[in-house]
Amino acid sequence: MAEKKDAILFKVGDRVKIRYYRGGPGRIVELRGPLAPGGKMVYRVLVRRKPRPVYNELTDEFLELIPADS
Amino acid sequence: MPSTSLLRWQTDRMPRLAEVEAQCAASLVLVPPQPNLVEENLRGNVLLLSSHYQGFCRDLYTECAQIVVSKVRPALRLLILEQFIAHRRLDHGNPNLQNLKADYERFGFTLDLPAADPLNPARLTNLDLLNKWRNVAAHHGTIPAGIPLSLPALQGWRNSCDGLSTSLDAIMYNELRQILKRAPWVP
Repeated sequence: MAEKKDAILFKVGDRVKIRYYRGGPGRIVELRGPLAPGGKMVYRVLVRRKPRPVYNELTDEFLELIPADS
Repeated sequence: MPSTSLLRWQTDRMPRLAEVEAQCAASLVLVPPQPNLVEENLRGNVLLLSSHYQGFCRDLYTECAQIVVSKVRPALRLLILEQFIAHRRLDHGNPNLQNLKADYERFGFTLDLPAADPLNPARLTNLDLLNKWRNVAAHHGTIPAGIPLSLPALQGWRNSCDGLSTSLDAIMYNELRQILKRAPWVP
């Protein structure tokens, strides 16, 4: 079955590795909705960084789930 | 030619607000009258209207940023998106004209909502009244003098938000079309 364009691949609280980002992992804090071109789901991601945490809004192509037990 | 954000405003956010308004209207005709319940319903409705309008404005901003960055290579996309999102006023501030201008002008143009539609100056006045009451309701502050909170007023404010949403969507469509040299979203 073809994947839905706005398929939800991550949930709030998931820890994720961010592709093309050299810093540490992030955490999904909000599902922003199918707002990217082609109706792709956008996730709001919190990244712990000094001096203060930063947010980004990314599609799944940038995100890789970090298993809870790792 | 609506964006995904405007479609959601029209097909999800507005119907939800209409349902809450219907609940307000029902509380107005209760026998015996329950003025406290009416007031709490109206205050709750103010908060919901402001938050849904803020949600629309934030959604449209994200949608436009995603469209712009989709034209660059992935490694740069990450960097540019972070700059678009950093210190976005609509994440925490009221959806007032000042915050809308501060955020949307990051796309490199002057946001002139009053000039975009002859009805917009009156709509922006209503938005200002809505935000004043939003702050009163959220912080249980002093009731602003000369701004009565009533169901007809709320309905007027909702209609103003609806008109401003359509106007902002059209502005961003035209601006992105100029920047990208193509339609930003499929009609």
